[in-house]
Amino acid sequence: MPELEYNEEEILARASQGDRDSFGQLYERYVERIFNYVYYRTGNTHDAEDLTARVFQRAMNHIKNYTDRGVPFSAWLYRIAHNLVANWHRDRSRKQEIPLDDLPILPARGDHPEKNLVRSQEQDALLRMIRKLPSERQNLLILKFVENMSNAEIGSIMGRSEGAVKSLYHRTLLALRDQLEDQNLNLEGE
Amino acid sequence: MTKRKKTHTPEEDIQLLEAHLAGTLKPVTPSREVIQRLRGRIQMPNREEITLRLTDWRRLFIVFGGVVSGMLLLITLARAFYYLTGRKDMM
Repeated sequence: MPELEYNEEEILARASQGDRDSFGQLYERYVERIFNYVYYRTGNTHDAEDLTARVFQRAMNHIKNYTDRGVPFSAWLYRIAHNLVANWHRDRSRKQEIPLDDLPILPARGDHPEKNLVRSQEQDALLRMIRKLPSERQNLLILKFVENMSNAEIGSIMGRSEGAVKSLYHRTLLALRDQLEDQNLNLEGE
Repeated sequence: MTKRKKTHTPEEDIQLLEAHLAGTLKPVTPSREVIQRLRGRIQMPNREEITLRLTDWRRLFIVFGGVVSGMLLLITLARAFYYLTGRKDMM
């Protein structure tokens, strides 16, 4: 979508000069993606909402410092989100972890609401395992599956090469498979 | 997920895992209220922004200069008024 990208450049230029309406357009475009990322990293809607607001507040305050050095604006936003989520985890590391059962079920795009009401034990177990992975691997899985990004796009966000992302992804899958084996669990075909 | 019975090859295991990850990590849609609430929050000046404004020394200097000038003008006017009304009383 070259036209959209071109528009985004213009919007970014205006937003960096303090035009709030232009920033509002960027907000509309990215808010759901950032919310999704934070939601899967925190595991609850309340903190996801709070942290998403902080991501955009921080972006708004620093957008005049944003310079396009081949890194897309979305990557810049995800990095802000990543830093805020990391701080959030650091602050909470001394406190009790939220049980996964408290994770409110939000409707997935394209799914019937009723389908989301019954989250299977498999998904619970898998989510629990994902949340125990190192932060970088969680990021990778969220960006790949939730945000549907390519390895190259993920690389630009994580500051790694495409090959490094591919390799990390493979190691993450192997680690998850080993965890499943350790827990004597078997994934069944759908 | 059931107790493990080894029926798949390692490649099949990985493919199955990827399929389950795709089924588990689905994009969610926050409610319209959440989006609107967030929009409201980012439009308000936050604490960082207010602090930033206060640390803007040039603006502070202009504001301080303006307040002092205004006060001096008020004192001068008050003194002139007092002087004029005082003279009138003496006459």
